[in-house]
Amino acid sequence: MANTGSLPNATAERDQSILRRVRHLGSARNGSQEWRLQRRTALALIPLGLYFVASMLRLATSDHMSAAEWLASPVPALLTILFVLTVLAHAVVGLRSILVDYVHTRAWLVAAELAVRCAAVLLAGASVLAVLKIFLGR
Amino acid sequence: MERPLSPFMFPAWYRFQITSVLSILHRLTGIALAIGSILLAWWLVAVAAGGEVFAATHAFIASPIGVTLLLGWSVAFFYHLCSGIRHLAWDAGYGFDISTTYRSGYAVLAATIALTVLAWLYVWLAA
Repeated sequence: MANTGSLPNATAERDQSILRRVRHLGSARNGSQEWRLQRRTALALIPLGLYFVASMLRLATSDHMSAAEWLASPVPALLTILFVLTVLAHAVVGLRSILVDYVHTRAWLVAAELAVRCAAVLLAGASVLAVLKIFLGR
Repeated sequence: MERPLSPFMFPAWYRFQITSVLSILHRLTGIALAIGSILLAWWLVAVAAGGEVFAATHAFIASPIGVTLLLGWSVAFFYHLCSGIRHLAWDAGYGFDISTTYRSGYAVLAATIALTVLAWLYVWLAA
């Protein structure tokens, strides 16, 4: 092998070893995917969040409509499910980015991330089941 | 200890600016809202359960602790919303120079206060 040590070869070798390294370690593996998920859920949460808060304000000041009656209609039920799921996806990515900054022990980081994900799945499941029960039992 | 390095050196060595304070607030309100999602799920389950469970949940929400939590939740929500829109603008490449960053920062604070006051005024006047 004629390795002349020219600049292009050295550069290619260096890039390859860096790529190999980042594929095994850290968020560089799928960092941009997470970044995009964070922004997409953020965009979706602008209308979904405003809708949910406006609905809560309406419910809080309404004498004739109960929360159960509100969630029995298709649009509120659908948008509430979407709101909760988007909030939890956004929260998992956001909490992960905070944990990565402050938890420096590998084992604790894995444990904390697992706890966050478990909590998010439990809350998502409970919320969806609750809304479906109200919606289907109307 | 010769020069300030990072916010972790506060309060003795670090001078706060609105930019870093708002950034820290964005994370803190994000954590608060994530914890708030537990209450959100609890409320949905209570509505589904109905009867005594819902009555107890409703009594808790209407109690001083519940109203305080809701007030905190609404401030955190409106701040994170406004600050998040500011972040999205940065992601799109807008508003990076210092003067714009400071102005958008104060705008976020003003919008947070305005939205929170409007929401609670609405509840107070319409209820």
